[in-house]
Amino acid sequence: MIAHAVFFYIFSFIAIVSAIMVTAARNTVHSVFFLILDFISISCLFIMIGAEFLGMIMLIVYVGAVAVLFLFVVMMLNVAQQKNQWFGSIKSSSHIPIGLLISLIIFVELLIVVGGWKYKPDLLNSSNIIISQTTSNTHSLGNVLYTDYIHLFQISGMILLVAMIGAIVLTFRERAGLKRQSYIKQISRERKDGVQVVDVPNNKGVKIDV
Amino acid sequence: MMNLDLIIPEIFLSLSIMFLLMVGVFKKNSERLVYNLSIVALIILFSLVINLFSINEKLVFNESYKISNLSSFMKSITIISAIFVMFSSSEYIKSLNILKIEYPILILSSILGMMIMISSNDLIVFYLGLELQSLALYVLASFNRDNVLSSESGLKYFVLSALSSGLLLYGCSLIYGFSGSTNFIYIANSSTLIEYGVIFGLVFIIVGLAFKISAVPFHMWAPDVYQGSPTSVTLFFAALPKVAALTAFINFLYTPFVNLIDQWQTILVFISIASMLFGAIAAIGQSNLKRLIAYSSIGHMGYALAGLASGTNQGIQSSITYISIYLVMTLCFFSCLFMLRKKNVFYEKIEDLSGLSINHPILSISLLVVLFSLAGIPPLAGFFAKFYIFMAVIEQSMYFLAIVGLLSTVVAAFYYLRLIKIIYFDKPTEKFETDHSLGLKITLTISTGILILYFIYPGLLNDFVSKIIII
Repeated sequence: MIAHAVFFYIFSFIAIVSAIMVTAARNTVHSVFFLILDFISISCLFIMIGAEFLGMIMLIVYVGAVAVLFLFVVMMLNVAQQKNQWFGSIKSSSHIPIGLLISLIIFVELLIVVGGWKYKPDLLNSSNIIISQTTSNTHSLGNVLYTDYIHLFQISGMILLVAMIGAIVLTFRERAGLKRQSYIKQISRERKDGVQVVDVPNNKGVKIDV
Repeated sequence: MMNLDLIIPEIFLSLSIMFLLMVGVFKKNSERLVYNLSIVALIILFSLVINLFSINEKLVFNESYKISNLSSFMKSITIISAIFVMFSSSEYIKSLNILKIEYPILILSSILGMMIMISSNDLIVFYLGLELQSLALYVLASFNRDNVLSSESGLKYFVLSALSSGLLLYGCSLIYGFSGSTNFIYIANSSTLIEYGVIFGLVFIIVGLAFKISAVPFHMWAPDVYQGSPTSVTLFFAALPKVAALTAFINFLYTPFVNLIDQWQTILVFISIASMLFGAIAAIGQSNLKRLIAYSSIGHMGYALAGLASGTNQGIQSSITYISIYLVMTLCFFSCLFMLRKKNVFYEKIEDLSGLSINHPILSISLLVVLFSLAGIPPLAGFFAKFYIFMAVIEQSMYFLAIVGLLSTVVAAFYYLRLIKIIYFDKPTEKFETDHSLGLKITLTISTGILILYFIYPGLLNDFVSKIIII
């Protein structure tokens, strides 16, 4: 139990520190690396509470795909060298007081809302939580995703399809004079199309017409 | 076991989207074919939806998807107007060189999103439908990507819409957190409905929805987006998403939050009054017809919301009638716009209409009818639409709303009548071309006919609408 607590504090400390460093780091590439560290420690926390599927998905999706994509974008755009001077400039500083005022008002309003928050009484009693020992995490997640919410799953699929079509429509341009590889042409090429047996006379050489 | 036959229209539409995509990819130069096939798909879809008409209210997918008279009616008017949108704009798309296979496919997927939104009985389903619908619309707005205005309008719509989606999602999360469910029926029965959190969430959701139907004060995007996008897309924008968002309004306000009517009625009355006034006053100074119709549609949404604000069945029905007649008027007006063509250039300035009646008497009569109808002059359909709304509002003794509505009708009549004056009494300009496609002519004839002849037999529409009983 003590080891559990120790590991919990180690991972959550790393998670919090690296989350702060994401915003505090000067260099954008460093920020992305801190983000990756953050994801990794959070996935460790997930694994510690027994949600192994979520932990692994976190690693695969967020670290493996999203963070690497971020890294690529950061490197492509070369924003690492740019310094953020927006807050300091004269042009923008006139907007800041109004923005702060509005966000303060919204913040106070939200405090009022959250002030009314209370947990359901049966939520605090952990004996009410039903945990089946026979079905695994993955199994029950799959049940929710592919049985209870199958229609939402399918609609999300349609949304992704539309996003893909949209991205292609808006960016794809067919360029003229582009040379493309044609597999069919390559495969169906035969020996007689490319190779020619020429009778070479002595001391004359061959004239190849190009 | 689930009743899959209730969602056959949605399944059919999704399958036909994928099928058309395949046709477009594997058959070269099949733009025209895909376009026509998608019209056919819409017609089949319409008959499938009609088939569900007589069914009583039914819930599928763990009560998260509702098939009722309201949803069937809204779906069918959406699909009919989509068919006519496709009919009337084919020539425009071709001459603007934006006819690609993706164009009809994006329109179909947007309609799929609208259908999901219309039938939603759950926060998640509703949000996914909304996203599917608007994602396709972002792309359509910037479809003419070589045009600066079009790209700008797409970007503007995307950024502002993403912001409003964020607000809406925040509202959804508050409601879920405080009531413990995403299902409308469970939310309605939850005991914590009067807490601040739920009311906050409700307000956020109203903001998000008001953005989608471009009601004041969330209207800023509408004129720019309407002007920038290709006219065929503007027609789509002005007509269809409003139906879906209005249905979402009805579903939201009258299923989970009907007991909070004191809370949302004031907000709705304010939005409605502001939209009516702003739509009437801001349109006066416009010189572009598309911008003008954007402001006019803001005003019309104000009237539709006024019906909803009354909180009675009669009010809801009058809103539904209003939105149906609004669809016809929009279709008619835009078909007239599509006809202002000279050597493949489409004219959309007000002064281009100058003296139209000399060279094009029939087109001018159509414009006259639609403008009078938009202004609400009897005996045209637009008058009855407004009449039902005011009746419902006055019955609830919301006199202030009715008075402001009437006053803004008078103000709005000014700019509609100014257009008529320009058409009939100003100096004629050059002739426009007259060889229009058959679809465009049919659309214009049918929509003008409906506007003129509605008063002879209003029961045709009203019988359907009166079957929609919400509370």
